[in-house]
Amino acid sequence: MNNYMIRRAAERIGLFTTLFFATVILVACASAPLPPTESLNAARDAIAQAEQAEARRYAGAELEEANRHLAAADQAVEEERMTEADRLAQQARVTAELAMARTEAAKAAAINREMGRGAEALDEEMQRQGDQQ
Amino acid sequence: MTILSFFKPVPGLKTGAVVVLSSVLLTACAMSPTSPDGSEDVRAKLTELQQNPDMATHARIELRDAEAAVKLAEQPLDDDEAALADYRIYMADRMVEIARAKGQTRLLEAERELLGEQRDAARLAARTLEADRAHAEAESARSSQADAAAQASREAEELQRQIDTLEAEATERGLVLTLGDVLFATGSAEIQGGTNQNLEKLVNFLNQYPDRNVLIEGHTDNVGSAAFNQNLSRQRAESVRRFLTGRGIESQRLSVYGYGFERPIASNDSATGRQQNRRVEVIIENRE
Repeated sequence: MNNYMIRRAAERIGLFTTLFFATVILVACASAPLPPTESLNAARDAIAQAEQAEARRYAGAELEEANRHLAAADQAVEEERMTEADRLAQQARVTAELAMARTEAAKAAAINREMGRGAEALDEEMQRQGDQQ
Repeated sequence: MTILSFFKPVPGLKTGAVVVLSSVLLTACAMSPTSPDGSEDVRAKLTELQQNPDMATHARIELRDAEAAVKLAEQPLDDDEAALADYRIYMADRMVEIARAKGQTRLLEAERELLGEQRDAARLAARTLEADRAHAEAESARSSQADAAAQASREAEELQRQIDTLEAEATERGLVLTLGDVLFATGSAEIQGGTNQNLEKLVNFLNQYPDRNVLIEGHTDNVGSAAFNQNLSRQRAESVRRFLTGRGIESQRLSVYGYGFERPIASNDSATGRQQNRRVEVIIENRE
């Protein structure tokens, strides 16, 4: 009889333990998907920087794409698909960085063209003056 | 007891587990060398940039980062991780493009320095040219001034020579050439002897200085009436003009006056004085 009671107790403890762990695991699973705040902030910063550098004018398509990725990331956060949200945020950031880099390249090219024109005009002027002589 | 009995070794289970495990491993080995689709394209783009010396110089760090991203994208993944593969390829592709854009920017900036130098050189050349030209212009102005001065003095000399040959007298009215009465018979207005040395010289002079106008003034002695003398002096002056126009001098350059005996240059009391008074004076006007 005594032996039986001990076994019952042991079985109960085992059951409780199992239940406890199951609960812990369930709670862990429910709270684990935290929004990728860091990635999202980085993406937003990169987009803001690109916009400030007039990326809309020089690399509009890239900026547009970055904004699309960011919107998709926000959507994924709402639907608690956090891994996907993080990836989308990273894609938004890297594309905004590309927009920025292409904007700077376009600006540099414009400056060089302007300088080239200036030098050409000077050359032409000289040519003209030389012809006059 | 039922739980315990489940863990009891079952004959043949061990063998089965080994077979399953090894087949799983074999499958994994067979899949492992293949990189995700699309990663080759990114690798090709990266390689192209790495082989471009301009890019290798100007985007060294970005190319290194891109290389790491491409390597990650090339890691084999299971079929159910296609999303992760796509994500990695996307990221690698963007990083390659960033490296390209940054390399281009820095290359352009480097070229800009060169352009600046070129422009400075062009400016310098323009300024040098300008200075040279100004110098040359000053030089030529100086020399043309000298030329002009030399020319003027040559002309003055020439004029003096002409005046000398003309035996003209320089007065404030101009050069006065006195043609003596030997030209004309008494009481006649016709020039004698067809040609006259002095008149020929005058023609030459007027041809050489076409901008000079001429006054032709006739004078007489006081023999006869004033009206007669006035008329005669005028007719003599007119015949000098006819002679000159006949030799091609434009008549509008020639003005004719008859003064009669109003302006004697010597006394009419003596024959010599009267002879001096019978004359035609040709006055070549000074240039304005």
